[in-house]
Amino acid sequence: MQDGNAAMGLWKDWRLHAIVLAIVIVTELIGTFSIKIGPGVILLLPMLYALGIGIILYFTPAVKERQSINAEPIIVLGVSLLLAKIGVIIGPSLPEVIAAGPALLLQEFGHLVTILIALPVAIWLGMKREAIGMTHSIGREPNVGLIMDKYGMGSPEGRGVMAMYIFGTVFGAVFLGLLSGLLATITPLSPLSFALASGVGSGSMMAAASGSLIAAFPDLETQIVALSGASNLLSLSSGLWVSIFIALPLTEKLYGWMTRKKEGY
Amino acid sequence: MLKNIQEWVLLLVIVGVSGLIGNWIGYDIFPLSALPGMAVLIGICLAGFILKEIIPLNFPSIAYISIIGVVVSMPWFPGSDKVVEWTTQVQLLALTTPILAYAGIAIGRSWSDFVKLGWRTLIVASLVMIGTFLGSAVIAEIILRFQGII
Repeated sequence: MQDGNAAMGLWKDWRLHAIVLAIVIVTELIGTFSIKIGPGVILLLPMLYALGIGIILYFTPAVKERQSINAEPIIVLGVSLLLAKIGVIIGPSLPEVIAAGPALLLQEFGHLVTILIALPVAIWLGMKREAIGMTHSIGREPNVGLIMDKYGMGSPEGRGVMAMYIFGTVFGAVFLGLLSGLLATITPLSPLSFALASGVGSGSMMAAASGSLIAAFPDLETQIVALSGASNLLSLSSGLWVSIFIALPLTEKLYGWMTRKKEGY
Repeated sequence: MLKNIQEWVLLLVIVGVSGLIGNWIGYDIFPLSALPGMAVLIGICLAGFILKEIIPLNFPSIAYISIIGVVVSMPWFPGSDKVVEWTTQVQLLALTTPILAYAGIAIGRSWSDFVKLGWRTLIVASLVMIGTFLGSAVIAEIILRFQGII
């Protein structure tokens, strides 16, 4: 990002803040809708409309390039506020979070499952080394940094991780928000397991995924927030190390093995 | 540093006001009742930003903020009952709406990159997301059941 001074004076962008306030008012007035799909439920939450309206407004004269640039650092501040809120939910339920400690730690390895599912499909679809960058993780900032550092900006792996990053940035929150509500209602897995899974290491994705869970299971709100918040914190702090020492070497190995096998035919 | 603090406070207040209004419309909590809670949350954020500035460790401010939030709401912390009581009035989902509104406006610029992604990329990227989410959930389920928590 820019230096400290460039981020100054963002509070003066009244146009931006007024637009956001208007979006909040409209989306909260619309409220939550749930769409039943067989036994499952897809939850449409105000935050998801807010994201969509924000994107649409970017293409109208209401939002200028300036507002879009200014909005970016403010997301970090908003997420800080969200993390403070999650912190004060975790505090009183810390004994429960600690009781779930083993699940909390081990579910981090669940992120590796994605390599086994997505990498073979990527290779089958004809992707080359882009697949390594794309499938080694969900491709948030630390992962982009890691791949760029290891393979370089213009490498196929770099293009892969950037594609994943862009997909996650634009679509990640909506995707996980819809997915978590649906999966938690159609699979026999507990909402608490999905709460632990919601902490993928991105504030907005975690908010959307756990938000749908809260809307679907309001009685479990405190536990859902505490577990997803703790899990997200763990993903943020350990995610990079898991990528460096386990996920990326594993993806490389699997890629080498799968492409060799393919060439043998 | 002073100037930075001023900037952070102003921005947190602006985001907070949007949150309070969303909290009112969406969750019927009058802004005045949620005000003390929002002030506490802003205070926690500010404490986290200041700690990051003064502690010479490469530790992100969001980590400090999370830890401070947990500590001040733990039962043994003086006044934690008030912290919990007040912040309960600020709904989590009311905070996420303005964040994603700002995010949407910022994301608009990435849209042209997004539409350039091919269909293969969209399939694989979706699988990466599903795999991560479901993989973690299945492992969590197995262990929570094994522990008898669920």
